Amino acid sequence: MNSSQPFAASARLAWRETLIPYVRLIAHPFLGLVLGVILVVALFPIVTNSPTLREEIFLVLMAVILASSVNIIMGYTGYVSFGNIVFFGLGGYVAFFMMLTFHVHLAVAVLAGGIFAALFATLLGIPVLRLRGAYFALATIGINEAVRAFVNNFDPFGGSVGMNFDYSFYDAYGGAKNALWLAYYAIVLVALATVAASFIIKQSKFGLGLMGIREDQDAAQVLGIQPARYKVIAYAISALFPAMAGAVFFFKNGIIEPGPAFSLTASIEGLVAVMLGGFGTVAGPIVGAVVYDRLRSFLLTSGAFSELHVAVAGVLLLLIVLFVPAGLVGELRRRVPWLRKYTE
Amino acid sequence: MSRSIARYAGLGLMLALFVLLVAACATPPPPPPTPATSAPQPPAATSAPAGGATKPIVIGFTASQTGNLNVESKKQTQGLQLWLDDVKKAGGIKLSDGTVVMPEIKFYDDESKTDRVQALYTKLINEDKVDFLISPYSSGLTKAAAVVSEQNDKVMLTTGAADDKTMEQGFKGTYQLYTPASRYLAGAIDLLKKLEPNAKKIAIVNEKDSFSTTVANEAKAYATAQGFEVVLAEGYDTGTTDFAPFINKIAAANPDAIMGGGHFQDGTTFAKQLYEKKVPVKMIALLVAPADAKFTEIGAGAEGVIAPSQWETPVTYSPESAKAANLPWYGPTVSAFVDGYKAKYNEAPSYHAAGGYAAGLLLQKALEDANSTDAAKVKAALDTLNLLTFYGQIKFSTDAKTHGKQAGHTMVYIQWQKGADGKLAKQIVFPLEAKTADAQARQ
Repeated sequence: MNSSQPFAASARLAWRETLIPYVRLIAHPFLGLVLGVILVVALFPIVTNSPTLREEIFLVLMAVILASSVNIIMGYTGYVSFGNIVFFGLGGYVAFFMMLTFHVHLAVAVLAGGIFAALFATLLGIPVLRLRGAYFALATIGINEAVRAFVNNFDPFGGSVGMNFDYSFYDAYGGAKNALWLAYYAIVLVALATVAASFIIKQSKFGLGLMGIREDQDAAQVLGIQPARYKVIAYAISALFPAMAGAVFFFKNGIIEPGPAFSLTASIEGLVAVMLGGFGTVAGPIVGAVVYDRLRSFLLTSGAFSELHVAVAGVLLLLIVLFVPAGLVGELRRRVPWLRKYTE
Repeated sequence: MSRSIARYAGLGLMLALFVLLVAACATPPPPPPTPATSAPQPPAATSAPAGGATKPIVIGFTASQTGNLNVESKKQTQGLQLWLDDVKKAGGIKLSDGTVVMPEIKFYDDESKTDRVQALYTKLINEDKVDFLISPYSSGLTKAAAVVSEQNDKVMLTTGAADDKTMEQGFKGTYQLYTPASRYLAGAIDLLKKLEPNAKKIAIVNEKDSFSTTVANEAKAYATAQGFEVVLAEGYDTGTTDFAPFINKIAAANPDAIMGGGHFQDGTTFAKQLYEKKVPVKMIALLVAPADAKFTEIGAGAEGVIAPSQWETPVTYSPESAKAANLPWYGPTVSAFVDGYKAKYNEAPSYHAAGGYAAGLLLQKALEDANSTDAAKVKAALDTLNLLTFYGQIKFSTDAKTHGKQAGHTMVYIQWQKGADGKLAKQIVFPLEAKTADAQARQ
């Protein structure tokens, strides 16, 4: 009894020691600034009651979620996950299935989709994260293709036909109009959570461990970091948020099919956004995603470029990779040292 | 030196990107003219004009200018543009009060992906203030667009979207022009019954994608209901190039007919390999691929292959056949459409192009019948339409659950047959009243 009490006390202390830095991080001005900016932008369509703006910002936020998530495993940990979109699709499928079959609310389905994908990533990560470099990148592509092939043949998920909601499905949410607004609020919340998680990980001891693994896994291990555990946790987190975004996106679309759910192109676009903005930083993927998405949208709807938008985007990205390899935020940090404090 | 140049280039690029970003974020960006829109932006809502006034309307849609659907989608858009030309040549759509409705079209690229479809339709409705909508190409994209168009009480004519399920959810303003997927192979099964009364066994081998699977499932049910035995029902993955395992299974099941396929590439390869392995069946009916003229590039393998098609240039719909069927005729004759299309685009129109033209034509008819551009009145007019055009019969379901689903249009079935000159020619073999040649059983 006597001996267990000090142990309990020290355990409590250890917990507090672990938690307090995270609590402090939440109050960090940089995080407040980034979340504040996202919130203000997100409020625009609500204040102006503009569905067009809402749809545009929905896509931007979705790009931010995908890029920031892949940055956790790629930018912080150094594991290039080419097929990270697999979690977007899986989360979408699990959530869609639950909403269609069990009529659960969107919020429940989003959480369920996220948790399922995180668990899937945990189980998958244990063997796959043993691979390094190009082998891991190739494996993630393989996983995406394998899951797509599985879903294509999995009848409860509708097989190759996929699943779709009846239009009347949205009546439970007060009609399609309200449902689309609800989807927007949901994506805003997921985006805020993603960015907060990205920042907290970067600033925490855990994040330092991940970066240690990125620089030299063997050296990190010598210093007492458990690479296997760290990597699996990072992988699970990078799966959680895309899955939630997928759940919201397909709810809004009313239809889910294997092709759009596990699109490798979308996966690579996420990587491009990370490279464009600056990998390994918190702000980089956000800036990259915003720039990339806005650029694409601008080129798509502009008269002069509408036929050439893919080519124009391709040339710009090539130039970026050639001349600004650290990405926009990385370059800014390199050139303007005093800005480093404000651009994590 | 070169390093500093690189630096400045990098910096310049960043600046340029930010300028682009700011330009793109400026809300709302002035809607730039698409290649199709040369006319000035029409006002959102013109007040009811007095007699003889011109009232501009805008028809909006997204087209797959890039991505894997771009060939079909482009033809659809070309068909619609030809209709627009014809309307303009005729001086607009005249209503009985003397108002002339002058349509314009406005479209964006959806990259053949669902990602942006909802955002672009929202933009078309709210920013560009389009009056009527046409669907994107393909059922998946159309489904996503319908969620937006329905909630804004817009009229949307869907073309290039044959899925049944999409049209069975109680839509109020969505109208389908294509014969639904469930009826794609039904005619082939009817034809088999007529051609080979002793045929009993059918093998169905289809691509495992949404469209082909829907068709195959419905064909299986229909074949069983018609007294056939489906001895094999298998799906192959998109992009399959080696059909040997399936052909072996088919040979083992010894069917009288093979049905299925999917899209152009796989269907062509499948037909070629069936020919090479000399599978002895009376009929081969495949989706999509044989309807394309390029199908004959596989040579003798194409002979005798049957395909369903929404429309083909030799169809025999005419004012006379309308009279015989006791239906009103509307729009250009088949030859007027085909000639007009050839003159403008230098190629024969495919069924996608005919569908695009028909979408405009049906909207034109509904506007005339409604005598108004009011969405509710146009909907009411579309609900009561039952007519024959160059594209075939058009009638929409008015049942609450399947409202807007196509109920009048039928597929035609083509077969590649060797002509007197030894060359393969496309013949319409079914329905019998539209045939240009008798169907031939394979030897």
